[in-house]
Amino acid sequence: MYTFTLNMLPLIISAFISVALALYTWRNRKTAGALPFSIMMFILFQWQTSYIFQLAGLDLPTKIFWGNIMFIGVVLTPIPWLIFALEYTGRKTWVNKWRLALLCFLPVITIIVIFTNKLHHLFWVSQTLLREGGFLVLASVNGSWFWVHAAYTYLLIMTGLILIVRTLLRWPVQYRGQMLWILLATLTPLIANAVTIFQIIPIQIDLTPFAFAVTGIGMAYALFRHRLLDIAPIARDIIIDGMKDGIIVLDAKRQIVDINQAAQQIIGSYGEKQPIGKPLGDILTQWPELVERYREVLEAEDEISLGEGDAKRWYELNLSTLKDENKLLLGQVITTRDITERKLAEKQLREGEARFRQIVENASDLIYRTDIHGYFTYANTSALHAMGFKSKDEVVGKFYLDLTTPEARHKLKRTYQHQFASKTKNSYHEFPGIATDGSEIWFGQNVQLIYEGDQVIGFQALARNITAVKQAQDALRIARDQALEASRVKSQLLSKVSHELRTPLGGILGYAELLQGNAFGELNERQLKASKEIVESANYLSDMVNELLDEAQMSSSTATTLSERLFSPFTLLQQAVSGMDIIAQKKELEFSTTIDPTLPNEIFGDDRRIRQIIINLIGNAIKFTKEGSIHINVLHPDENSWEIQVIDTGIGISKEAQSYIFEPFRQADDAVTHENRGIGLGLSITKQLVELMHGRIILNSEVGKGSTFTVLLPIIKGLE
Amino acid sequence: MSTPTVFVVEDDPKLNEIITITLQGNFEIESCTDGNHAVERLKQIVPDIIVLDLNLPGVSGREILKNIREDERLVNTRVILTTADERQAETLTNEADIILLKPVSPLQLRELALRMSTKK
Repeated sequence: MYTFTLNMLPLIISAFISVALALYTWRNRKTAGALPFSIMMFILFQWQTSYIFQLAGLDLPTKIFWGNIMFIGVVLTPIPWLIFALEYTGRKTWVNKWRLALLCFLPVITIIVIFTNKLHHLFWVSQTLLREGGFLVLASVNGSWFWVHAAYTYLLIMTGLILIVRTLLRWPVQYRGQMLWILLATLTPLIANAVTIFQIIPIQIDLTPFAFAVTGIGMAYALFRHRLLDIAPIARDIIIDGMKDGIIVLDAKRQIVDINQAAQQIIGSYGEKQPIGKPLGDILTQWPELVERYREVLEAEDEISLGEGDAKRWYELNLSTLKDENKLLLGQVITTRDITERKLAEKQLREGEARFRQIVENASDLIYRTDIHGYFTYANTSALHAMGFKSKDEVVGKFYLDLTTPEARHKLKRTYQHQFASKTKNSYHEFPGIATDGSEIWFGQNVQLIYEGDQVIGFQALARNITAVKQAQDALRIARDQALEASRVKSQLLSKVSHELRTPLGGILGYAELLQGNAFGELNERQLKASKEIVESANYLSDMVNELLDEAQMSSSTATTLSERLFSPFTLLQQAVSGMDIIAQKKELEFSTTIDPTLPNEIFGDDRRIRQIIINLIGNAIKFTKEGSIHINVLHPDENSWEIQVIDTGIGISKEAQSYIFEPFRQADDAVTHENRGIGLGLSITKQLVELMHGRIILNSEVGKGSTFTVLLPIIKGLE
Repeated sequence: MSTPTVFVVEDDPKLNEIITITLQGNFEIESCTDGNHAVERLKQIVPDIIVLDLNLPGVSGREILKNIREDERLVNTRVILTTADERQAETLTNEADIILLKPVSPLQLRELALRMSTKK
C-alpha cells in the first residue's frame, strides 16, 4: 500500500531533527518560550510524518486520509509559534486561557471543515492523484475555506515574526548571529509554503515540510551555537537594563557594543542618544581628561566624579577586559556604580569626626586612651598640659603606671585589672599622678572599656585634676578631727571640773549642815549664824556651779542632745511643782496650778529637760516676787502645741531689760538684790532648751505688776 | 525590830565621814572607801540601805550597782546613788532607787534614808 523512496530522506531527517528538538526543549520547558517551542516542534514532527505517509500512499483514499491527518498539524502550527514569539519577547502574561481559546477557535473549525470536506467541498474543491517528479502526489484544488485558513495562519505567523524581529533588532551585535538563524528558520518554510499555495512554481508537491529541515537545522544551530533558549535574551534586557549600575561593553576597537539604560542615562544627560556603534571617545567628549586617563588602560578600579556643584555625582569605575578562549582581546566592559550617597555620608562622617575631635581636643577635662596593656594611644591637650608634656609624641606609647606615684601603682593596677576582668562598664577612681617636673597631682577619673565587637581593645579615661579638692578635703578632715577631739576634751574637762568642784562643795555643805544640826556639840547663837551662812553660801556656789556647767554643756552642741520619750504632762507638772510650792509658801506667796484636761495623756519629748525649764521659771518667779501669787497654767491651744505659763505678781521686768534678759550672764540690773543674785544663766539656758525642742519662749511683763513667761512647745503627732 | 543597817561606799574620806555622822544616830553604819573592798563585804552582809558613790577606785559604782541588782540576797536592799556627774547619773535612773547629785545635803540624805527604812 505504501512505497517509501529515497527522495523522502530529507523529510525523514527533518522529522528526526524536529522530534529531537521537541524532546530537548521539553526537558528545558521552564525557560521562557521553550514550552510552546517544544509543542510546535512536536506538531511539526506530526506534520512531517503524516506527509511522509501521504507521499508514500499509493491510492487516493490513503492519500486523502493522511492529507487530512497532516492538516491537523498544518492548522495548529501557528498557535504555538505565536505563543513562542510572545513568550520569547517578554509578553508571556498576554497569554491566558481565554485568549488561547480564541486563538484555537478558527483552527478547530477548519479541522472540522477538513474532515467533512466530502459533504461540502468547502476546503478542497477536488483532490486527484498526480505523478510529479519521483512522487505520486495528491493534487488539490483549494476551496474558499482554505483561503480563510491560509489568511489566519499567515496572520499569526507574521505577527510572531514581527515580534521576534523587533526584539532582535534591539539586541547587541553579539546576539545578531542568533537572530539571523532564527529568521532563516522561520522564513524558509514560510517562503516554501507561499511558493506552494500560491503556485509560484507550478508544482503540486508541498515544499513546506521539506523546508522544515532548514527550520530544524536553523533552530538547532541557534540553540546550540548561540544558546538560544538557555539564555533567553529577554533576561538580559530585564537584568542588564534594570541594573542601577551602568554597564558599557566595548569591542577591541573601543567602539560601544552594548550599553545599558543606567550607563546611557549618565552619558545621555551629557552626550548622544544613540551611542551604540560609536567610538567611546566620541560620546565622552565632555570629559576629555577621563578619555585621556584611560586611553591605554585595560583594567582599572577607580572613583571618579562627574558634574560640578550640586549636580556633582561620584562613581566607582571598573574597567575589565573581555577575552576569548585563546586569550585574545575581544573588548572591554566598563561598569559604573553611583556612590554619591556613600561619598556624602563619608564626608558628613569626616566632618562629624572633626567636630568631635575639636570638642575632645579643647575639653578642659583630661581625655586619653590606652591600648589593652595600658600604653597611651591618645591624650588631649588638657591631658598633655596637666602632666607637663609638650606634644602627643612624648606621651603616646608610655605606660600609664609610669605616670603615677610608686605608692599608688599597685592599687591602681589591681583596680583596672579587675575592671577588665569583670567587664565593668565604668569605674571612678582617685589617685596621685606624677607630672614631668616631679610634682604630685591628684586625679579623679572615669574609665570605660573600649570595645571592638565583643573584644575589649583598650581603655578610655575622662579625668580631672582634683588636687585642690583633695587638699581642701584633707584640711576639712583635719578640722573635723580637731573639732571632734576638742569636743571630746571639753566634755572630759567638764566632767572632771564638775567632779572636782562638787566634791569639796560636798565637804563644805556637809560639815556646815552637821555643825548646824549640833552633830559636833551645841553651838551658840553666833556660831549657829555662821554655820547657816556657810550653808547658804555653799548652796549658792552649788547653784552657780550647776548653771555654769549646764551652760558649758549646752554651748558645745555635740554634748547637748535631747533624750525623748513618751511622758504624761499631768505627772510632769506634779513632779515639777512638788517642793516648789513649799518654798513659795515659806515666802507666804499664793501658789496654784491649772492644767487643760484635753491635753493628751502622753506627749513625746524630753520630760527631764521640760521639768528643768519649769523649775527654772518657778524658781525665778519665787525669787522676784515679794508678795502676791504665783500661778502655773498648762494650756492646749490647738492640736499641735501645748503651753506652759508661769505667772507672777513680782517686781516685773523693764522693757529695756526684756531685750537682754535671755542672754547669758545678764540679769535685770535694777531687780537684783543681795538675796536674789545669781550669775544670770537661768533664762539663757531655759531659752536654749526651749529652742532645742523647736519651741518658743515669750515674756510679757510690766514693772511693778508682774511677769508672765509662756513656753510654747509642739506636740509631735502619731506618737500618742 | 533591830536598827536598820547602812553600808556607805564613798572614797572621799571627808564625805564618807559626813555621811557616817549624819546617819549614825538612826542607823547601824558600816563604811568603806574603795570598790574592791565594797564588793567583798557585800558578799557577806545584807544592808538595808547602801549609799554608793559612782566614782570609785577599783570596781566602779556602776559595776557594784549592777552586782547588787543581780544578787538575790540583796533584793530588798535600797540604793542611794551619789555622784557629781549628772549625765552618768541619768543613765542609771532605773537601777538606783534614788540619785543624789553632789554636793549632798546631810539633812536631805537623813530624811530620805529614814523614809526608806520606815517604808519597808
